Amino acid sequence: MSRAFEAVVTALADDELILGHRHSEWTGYAPHIEEDVAFASIAQDEIGHASSYYSLIAGAGHDVDALALGRPADAYRNAVICERPNTDWAFTLARHWLYDHADDIRSQALEQTSEPKLRQLVTKIRREERYHLLHADYWMKRVAQGPVEARSRIASAMASAFAEAGGLFEPFELEQEALEEGWLPVASPVLRTRFLEWATSALDELGLPGATGREETAPSEFVASSSGDLIAGEGSLAKEPAVVAEGGGRRGRHTDDLRELWIAMTTQYRENEGATW
Amino acid sequence: MVTRTAAEVPHAQIEAAIWSALEQVPDPEIPAVSVLDMGMIRQVDVDGDHATVVVLPTFTGCPAIAIIQEDVARAVSGVQGVRRVDVETSFDPPWTSDRITAAGRSKLRNFGLAPPDSGAVLIGEIGLPKVATCPFCGSTDTHSDSLFGPTPCRAAYHCNSCRNPFEQFKPV
Repeated sequence: MSRAFEAVVTALADDELILGHRHSEWTGYAPHIEEDVAFASIAQDEIGHASSYYSLIAGAGHDVDALALGRPADAYRNAVICERPNTDWAFTLARHWLYDHADDIRSQALEQTSEPKLRQLVTKIRREERYHLLHADYWMKRVAQGPVEARSRIASAMASAFAEAGGLFEPFELEQEALEEGWLPVASPVLRTRFLEWATSALDELGLPGATGREETAPSEFVASSSGDLIAGEGSLAKEPAVVAEGGGRRGRHTDDLRELWIAMTTQYRENEGATW
Repeated sequence: MVTRTAAEVPHAQIEAAIWSALEQVPDPEIPAVSVLDMGMIRQVDVDGDHATVVVLPTFTGCPAIAIIQEDVARAVSGVQGVRRVDVETSFDPPWTSDRITAAGRSKLRNFGLAPPDSGAVLIGEIGLPKVATCPFCGSTDTHSDSLFGPTPCRAAYHCNSCRNPFEQFKPV
């Protein structure tokens, strides 16, 4: 296993683990019982996917639990969008939709990898992820066609989530090595372009502000600039630009939101060192 | 008549006994069906007194996988002639719902869980069935309440005829 393989798989696993943890926070609190069950299930899927990714790079002295829970917060390589708090139902849905479609684009490319174990896992994961896409698409359609308040809230949340979604395609650490080794089929900037194309047309179809900006009553708008960067328009809730120049989550540069999540997520592991579950 | 060498006879017997033992290993979350009914056993290899069983997990995040591995190891280690057992998991090929046997589908229905259709499912077609049949009354006048249910492999449904909630095993 090369260092580049370890680096890329760690980032894939960290995205799934951290967002899976955020989804799990809805357990017992979701707006209604079916969604409580849905987010618990999606969380279980994502954390299961993370566990399977970690198992590809686990070895003596760093088992799956140690990889998932035994690292300091700044060792995680998830994109920042995954660590943001759920905030409200609108942001949860916007992020769920953006993330699962980004993951779909990424995993479709990864399905062509020459690394057999990774290819087999990704093929399996993609079949399960179909249900996440169906769920996210159903909800986006429902709120986008809903009453004014629903539309306004999803547009605002979408602006906030979309501004950070580009971080999912920040190049991995050692990505150049991975490409040269030949097993990483598509470079992140190429996937980012595919993602922007998808998002532009999908938002347009939903009638939500995006590339066309035709939703006049939306409280905020966002556009894809010619450079490919996502720029949050005025009134956006975005806290940070999509990809900060010196690197974001893929370089271990996180926000306090991850540190807060990390404390909750790793408490059991840290307090019961060596315990088996 | 086929002639066999002395070494081959016990080998074939051990292998047959392992498959019989696996028939008795239930799915921990759906005890009405065995791991064989679910099509979760890809292969059994016997080398002397060493048995290797390859399990295909139904869902990646299924917490029952570890329990299934333990149960399979325990059942196989009880087979006469086996001294060492390895239980491996694999995603090659991915487990798909068409691997559930006809007997397995029937057992799922009797358990109150609507089985998935039997044909292969292409990835682009994965989703809830267009028509779900109530496992209690056989009516197709049913509607889905949610894509998700109590375990990763089940969706929540309601029967408009007998008014029972029921679960549909997800096609995957």
